[in-house]
Amino acid sequence: MDKILVVDNITKEYPGRTAVSQVSFEVMKGSVHGFLGPNGAGKSTTMKMIAGLLPPTSGKITFMGENLTTESHSLKNKLGLLPENPPLYFDMTVEKYLGFVAKLHGVTNVKSNVEKVLTSLSLTDVSKRLIGNLSKGYKQRVGLAQALVYDAPFIILDEPSNGLDPEAVVELRVIIRKLALEKTVLFSSHILSEVEQVCDHITIIHQGKIRASGDIQEIHRKFRQGFVVKIGMAPGDVLPDLNSIGKYEITHRHSLGHEDQYHVCFENERDCRAELGKMLVSSGVRLLTLQAESPELEELFLHMTEKKK
Amino acid sequence: MIWTLWKKEVDSYYSSPLAYVLIGLFSLITGIIFFNLLVTYSDGIAAIPQNMTEPISFVEEVVLRLFSNINFLFLFFVPLITMRLFSEERKAETLDLYWMSPVSDWQLVLAKGLAALTLILSMLLMTVIYPLIIFGVGVRDFTLLGSAYLGVGLNACAYISLGLFCSSLSNNQIIAGLLSILSIMFLWMITWGGHLNSNYLVAEVFTYIGITSHFERTLRGLLGTQDLIYYATFIFTFGFLTVKSLGRRNW
Repeated sequence: MDKILVVDNITKEYPGRTAVSQVSFEVMKGSVHGFLGPNGAGKSTTMKMIAGLLPPTSGKITFMGENLTTESHSLKNKLGLLPENPPLYFDMTVEKYLGFVAKLHGVTNVKSNVEKVLTSLSLTDVSKRLIGNLSKGYKQRVGLAQALVYDAPFIILDEPSNGLDPEAVVELRVIIRKLALEKTVLFSSHILSEVEQVCDHITIIHQGKIRASGDIQEIHRKFRQGFVVKIGMAPGDVLPDLNSIGKYEITHRHSLGHEDQYHVCFENERDCRAELGKMLVSSGVRLLTLQAESPELEELFLHMTEKKK
Repeated sequence: MIWTLWKKEVDSYYSSPLAYVLIGLFSLITGIIFFNLLVTYSDGIAAIPQNMTEPISFVEEVVLRLFSNINFLFLFFVPLITMRLFSEERKAETLDLYWMSPVSDWQLVLAKGLAALTLILSMLLMTVIYPLIIFGVGVRDFTLLGSAYLGVGLNACAYISLGLFCSSLSNNQIIAGLLSILSIMFLWMITWGGHLNSNYLVAEVFTYIGITSHFERTLRGLLGTQDLIYYATFIFTFGFLTVKSLGRRNW
């Protein structure tokens, strides 16, 4: 896959504060790239720099082989941005607003582009309504339509599901998946499950610095530490000391009523289920479940962001 | 591109009640002023002694005074129109829309300025009815009418460019509006400062920098190159400062 975007060592400094420090990552053409980090990690600042709205203090951004700056007028029609707060005019109708944005980008066939985007985002029913009168979910969708109406091949979505109800979040996810069929999408969020469901590549940022970047599976593999196993026992049974198998840590424990479950993480990555099963049964535990678990990205994310604090 | 931006701004003006309220209010106030000036003028005519040779000038007493008053009204009306132009967009973060597009800051400033001027011109259009009324009752002395419109028009352009700059400085409309009013008042006061200063050179400089002397000359049909240069420089300078102010995002 070709690289559509290369972010090379960018830093953004404000007086007395460094918002983003030496950030580097790449986005592959045709991928859905998740940009993940807790609130205040520097996601929006990075997104704005990539969109050409904010110049980095140092570093370089290469987009489609060209150096991207705030003055790169030729590249502006190739980037679509849905900022955290969509730039909407509440006194305009949806149709008029989208037509206006298309004209700003020099689209020749405004009407057909607007109709296409209205249909693909299911906005046709509200096309004659004033944007100010729409629900938050629809406003977000109009914001997305604004980024798509001039047919840019690269779409940046900054926290697109912020403040949406669960139904709208699901709808948005479907839209992003559809978008990914023909465009490259860079998508920021602080909610890991959301990124996990739509992205094939991720970059994790924390306190203005990149913690990891690349293919989701590779990141899993790279940061996978030890071997995690789920042990289910009959209620009342006590988990014996497992040090004879290897150094371990209980990461999670909960009761399902009919079964007490433990997530045990062994430092050694070796699959020790056979040994463990034998040992548990011989120590009198009424074993109900013994299952290898891949560490959740959520755990990985928390681990990475907490460890560096 | 400027046409697209201008049309959007003008549509936005006329789709809100603000434009109609401003036009209505402006017409009402200028109507009252015009009526008062006419009454004062006719009272003056009636009071002229039979042997007086110098007639009271209709142009001087009614036309020029009316337009001086319109200039005074612009102190409030222009900031009311310009105060929202950038501050509202800053607050709603809609400027991103332009910065994401190939539109330049100059095009944006020019389009917003022209849209504000369009609204001002539609307000001035309402005043055309006064000369028509006078014409209808037989007064034909309208020699300076064209230059009077040019005078208030040029002043409006200068105030708009100043107002745009003030609007680009804050995301609070009220602050932007107050700043515009104070800046226009300051422009007037510079000329008064010139009148009060005993040093000839300083007085001349003050008079040139202040807008009043240029307006007075234009109003009386004495518009010269120096006045044209003054207005062009003024409008360009504040247009330039507005563009620079918008470019703060790059700092």
